[in-house]
Amino acid sequence: MTAEGRFSYSYNSLVYAGEDIAVSVDRVARFGYDAIEIVGEPEQIDAKRVAKLTQDAGIGVSSICSIYTPERDLIHPDPDARKAAIQYVKDLVDFAATMECPTVVVHPTANMKIKALADPAQEWRWAIDSIRTAGEYAAPRGVSFSLECWNRFESYFLNRLEQARRLWAETGLTNGGVQGDTFHMNVEESSLADAYRDCAGVLQHVHFADSDRTAPGGAHIDFVPIVDALVEIGYDKYISFELLPALADPFSGGRHEEFFDRYTERAIRVIRAVEDLVRARRTLGGKG
Amino acid sequence: MATTATIPLGLSTFVLASPFSDADLGLFGKVRSFGYEQVEVCIEDPGTLTAPAVAKAAAEEGLSVLVCGAFGPDRDVSNGDEERRRGGIDYLRHCVDFAAAVGSTLVSGPMYAPTGQARLLDPPARSAQWARATESLAKVAEYARAAKVRLAVEPLNRFETDLVNTVEQGVRLCTDIGADNVGLLLDTFHMNIEEKSLPAAITAAGPRVFHFQASENDRGTPGSGHVAWPEVIAALRGIDYPGSIVVESFLPTVKEIARAVSLWRPVAASMDALAADSVRFLRPLLQGGPSSGGRS
Repeated sequence: MTAEGRFSYSYNSLVYAGEDIAVSVDRVARFGYDAIEIVGEPEQIDAKRVAKLTQDAGIGVSSICSIYTPERDLIHPDPDARKAAIQYVKDLVDFAATMECPTVVVHPTANMKIKALADPAQEWRWAIDSIRTAGEYAAPRGVSFSLECWNRFESYFLNRLEQARRLWAETGLTNGGVQGDTFHMNVEESSLADAYRDCAGVLQHVHFADSDRTAPGGAHIDFVPIVDALVEIGYDKYISFELLPALADPFSGGRHEEFFDRYTERAIRVIRAVEDLVRARRTLGGKG
Repeated sequence: MATTATIPLGLSTFVLASPFSDADLGLFGKVRSFGYEQVEVCIEDPGTLTAPAVAKAAAEEGLSVLVCGAFGPDRDVSNGDEERRRGGIDYLRHCVDFAAAVGSTLVSGPMYAPTGQARLLDPPARSAQWARATESLAKVAEYARAAKVRLAVEPLNRFETDLVNTVEQGVRLCTDIGADNVGLLLDTFHMNIEEKSLPAAITAAGPRVFHFQASENDRGTPGSGHVAWPEVIAALRGIDYPGSIVVESFLPTVKEIARAVSLWRPVAASMDALAADSVRFLRPLLQGGPSSGGRS
């Protein structure tokens, strides 16, 4: 972990698909990250091995990047299908606990699903029930949930942080909160900084990417007001970089070289510089 | 001293009714009353929309007309199947005829492939599709030239197409088509996702920018989100953009390209409010007057 009063930084290993996790852990540690985000596939990834690798490298596991497929749909009209989805999230909780990872990412429905299978009010109730059931399993195991919004092309269910806050509040859970990803927010939110600001007290996790999903600094998102908003609301958890290639299904492609060393190095360098600027300005009382 | 011309404002029929038909032409009165001087008619169902009726209704309201297309799977100029390709070419020829009949100088839209087709092709399959698209569009361009109509090809974001996402790719497509009556339609909604910098992309496309659509980052009213409008308009001024700006959003009833649009929540109080507020916000930015820049 970094010094008190600073953000902790993580890199999502999702884009390192196909690589031995030992190589990924080494890269992330080498570029100065505090942690790595691990893909939520407990049957493909050995949690004990990751725990050992990260411990040896002196970093943590920030979060589980869960993979919600049509078979892992927490609001599916078939109760057995919902049960299977809840079991998947419970498995992720155990997976996370083994790696002393504090956060599991939750989205109520399958990625790329853009059509409701039931009445919206009914789906909303199923979302509350499923997340609550899994969340009550997670709490005593020291694991929290971050309820993530995706852009309209990846999900019809939660697009704006305001919707996620409402759903989270209705679960009644206290172990976790909501999650904003700047790539999705660039499409959906009127102001990225204000959207984060409105999440004061319930922001569990943050994903950063530039407007085209590459490393911050290369496209048009201005991260200064965003980081300023996060500092203002006292956000003290991880900033994790989820960077993905420009494809509707980013997981279908081969290796995209720039997302390995080049973007891993650049992402933390750029945002640390922004954090330094913002914190210095606040100390000096200036606005820049 | 240099002066800048006023950029005219248009409204897309996607904001009025979808699929837009002759039965909806009474809505042109509203377009005029919101303060637009142009209407962009999208030909979703050619069976229910006729050029003479559109021309008459527009003339009665003093509106100029632009034509754009909606490209579902049956209108695919890039398809490997000749029959399907012909479906795309025939539809575009209909759009050109329609444009000529209503006095539109342009046919616009993502005419290179079906909207919503976003697969991952390997490089050879992708170049083959690209070649089919350029070959078909070259034929359409020739047909359009005879009718004195230009084609404005629209890049779409990664979730709506896998063929032309960026302005740079769009310029390359135009070059490969090789006809000077083919240019680009740029839309701020797509650019906000795909471009490193919106003004830089506009500047790079320069004279290839035939047409421009304004939409907020969430498809809501321009001015209600985070698109940097003054910089975008300044970039258009910088390339001496000669066209209009058309405000576009979508009603939830949109059918031909519903999956591509993916609008699940209201992005404005109403579509009428969006149309009226867009004029209120954009008009002052588009007024002509003495140039404030260094150009002379």
